Amino acid sequence: MSAGDSAERGELRQVVREFLSERSPSQEVRRLMAAGESRDAQVWSLLAEQLGLTGIAVPERYGGAGYGPVELGIVLEEMGGALLVAPYFATVALAGQTLAASGDEVAMACWLPRIADGSLTATLAVAEDSGSWDLAEVAATAQPAGHGWAVTGTKLFVIDGHTADLLLVVAHAPDGPGLFAVERGAVGVESARLDTLDLTRALASVTLNGTPAVRVGGDRDAAEWLSQARDLVLAALAAEQLGGAARCLDMAVGYAKVREQFGRPIGSFQAIKHKCANMLLEVECGRSAVYHASEALAGRQPDAPLAAALAYTYCSRAFTHAAKECIQIHGGIGYTWEHDAHLYLRRAKSSELLFGPPARQRTRLAELAGI
Amino acid sequence: MTLEREAPVPTAEPDDVFRARLREFFTAHHPGRPPKDPRERLAWTKAWLATLFDHGYAGPSWPREFGGMELSFAHQVIYHEEAARARVPGPLGTGLNIAAPTIIKYGTQEQKQRWLAPMLRGDTVWAQGYSEPEAGSDLPSLRTTARRESDEYVVNGQKVWTSHAGDADIFFALVRTGTRESRQKGITYLVIDAHAPGVQVRPLRDLTGGHLFAEVFFDDVRVPVANRIGEENDGWRLARTSLGHERAAGALNQAAMYRRVLTELEELARERGQLADPLVRDRFVDLEIRVRLIRYNAERTIGGILARGDAGAASSISRLLITAFEQDIHEFAVDLLGPAGLLGKSAPQAVQRSRWLVGFLRTRASTIGAGTTEIQLNTVAEQVLGLPHDPGMPPR
Repeated sequence: MSAGDSAERGELRQVVREFLSERSPSQEVRRLMAAGESRDAQVWSLLAEQLGLTGIAVPERYGGAGYGPVELGIVLEEMGGALLVAPYFATVALAGQTLAASGDEVAMACWLPRIADGSLTATLAVAEDSGSWDLAEVAATAQPAGHGWAVTGTKLFVIDGHTADLLLVVAHAPDGPGLFAVERGAVGVESARLDTLDLTRALASVTLNGTPAVRVGGDRDAAEWLSQARDLVLAALAAEQLGGAARCLDMAVGYAKVREQFGRPIGSFQAIKHKCANMLLEVECGRSAVYHASEALAGRQPDAPLAAALAYTYCSRAFTHAAKECIQIHGGIGYTWEHDAHLYLRRAKSSELLFGPPARQRTRLAELAGI
Repeated sequence: MTLEREAPVPTAEPDDVFRARLREFFTAHHPGRPPKDPRERLAWTKAWLATLFDHGYAGPSWPREFGGMELSFAHQVIYHEEAARARVPGPLGTGLNIAAPTIIKYGTQEQKQRWLAPMLRGDTVWAQGYSEPEAGSDLPSLRTTARRESDEYVVNGQKVWTSHAGDADIFFALVRTGTRESRQKGITYLVIDAHAPGVQVRPLRDLTGGHLFAEVFFDDVRVPVANRIGEENDGWRLARTSLGHERAAGALNQAAMYRRVLTELEELARERGQLADPLVRDRFVDLEIRVRLIRYNAERTIGGILARGDAGAASSISRLLITAFEQDIHEFAVDLLGPAGLLGKSAPQAVQRSRWLVGFLRTRASTIGAGTTEIQLNTVAEQVLGLPHDPGMPPR
């Protein structure tokens, strides 16, 4: 039984899809994008309160629905298809899953209920100048200060980092790497949106200068559970990429059926057919990879880290390829600002590079596979 | 799902019990290693098929009435897993997979009685007569004719790319009974005695240098009308028949086989100290991703069939993924070996009896046989994605 296949999951998918097609159509995405907004307040409260999506992967004892990576993946697949402009990925997939992976009861009790009910937005800040998520490349430091900690460093490429209510910052403490929670408005925090490719998802720089913080995860070896969190995040992003790729395929096929040149629909030409069929191949392989990864993570299977890395690596390429082919099949109209094709290309390339250069991801995959 | 009976025999045998029973049987009756000599090997395979049949372990997807096991899909999957695990011989000829479903669905009772059990038992070997020199991708243009003369057809023409033709007792063939221009509407499905006067089989030497395929010539071959399956001129529709999702039942085994091949290549590269090269590693990552996708697709297809009776879109693209993988892994292996990759089997320095080089050549056929990649892409585009048919091509 594959993920995303049961009746209940099918219903979840349908509900999210209908909600997004009504509440986050292209003109809404473009309105928020042009205004530089991180979300539409009403849409956010509906998806949190009415649909309960912000709590989908939050354990029930912290006010969530208690589902896991499979259901979150379905939601993200649909959001990726719609290019929803909202701090959902940052709050739920990055911060929520990381907090849950920490096993820190106090931290979870403090923030997860507010993530679940949508009243708190959050994000995870790991990368710095190099853009890498390897702990070895983290320079930010944390020193004990009074009852808590003081964090200093500059984080880059932080998703929704300029608007998040809660920043989860990876920094090196004297005893090793750790995760530190910084609330919005804390002393010594400066954040600014960066000018980056993806116009529907903001990346920010966040500078901390002796900023008071709470350590998350207590005495547990942070390197270990942070790597679990990373697996969850990779699978989540892969699901979102899958949704984006599938939408690019739909757009391309839809256009190829109606656009006529030489007196016939361009989709009747083999050159176009083959492009579309190859995109389908990649979308379906991506789907298999994403569902396998989310099931493996949900079942805590030994191959989960590899499955997550594989899904992300594969879907990264598949989405970018689908976005490029979507533009190509649309021809001139696909090159215009008004057509949505470029928004998907921007999201695709951005997602592909978010955690470091693709070559690094592949190297990591080789290590996980024992090659 | 055409042959799933309304009320299957109540075999509520639990999966693990069924698996254990199969495993015990395969172990107890295992025929040992295949003989080298082709004729001995043929006899060895036939003996195994007879053993299976006589003990009720043949034809997992077939109805019991014709000697099959009539297994549920879940048990078919287990059957293929255990058969692969035991490394017992597979079917002989292409009849079991291609002709039998058509006969089971469209044959008369007399035809089923006459043909099915001997085919399943390995007493008769069936080979396919579809492709012709002038009818490859455009199979509906085939020219082998069958002229009706009272209660016989007189068949003339040539088939090509027939595998197992030299061992065949029977050809199942598509022949033209309509006008030359009739295309799909003038094709009839005939079962032809391979030993009949006027049938000539000529081995065809393929680019590997081997003789796996043959050309088959029909010169005034007389075939009883009783050997026609379905109505005259209705053969095209019958040719592509399968029993439920039987073809998907072995998908996991196929995936496991490719996994084994890739692991063996990794071992070879490791022994030769080549895994330290980042470019080599990156090629391995690519193949590693694909070999796992083959398995994930198989799992998703089988899961979909078990849950909803629907193979889903993953099954439509899996062959495209697999054929490209087969070619790429062999070419990569040859590249890895460098000049040593060029050594043939009989060279004393040959690496692993030249398997990768042979595979490199052999897998040229992967993207041609049973529908070229290009035709498959067309089919996927039209049937899965709903793109319009090319108006310059004849209708499907």
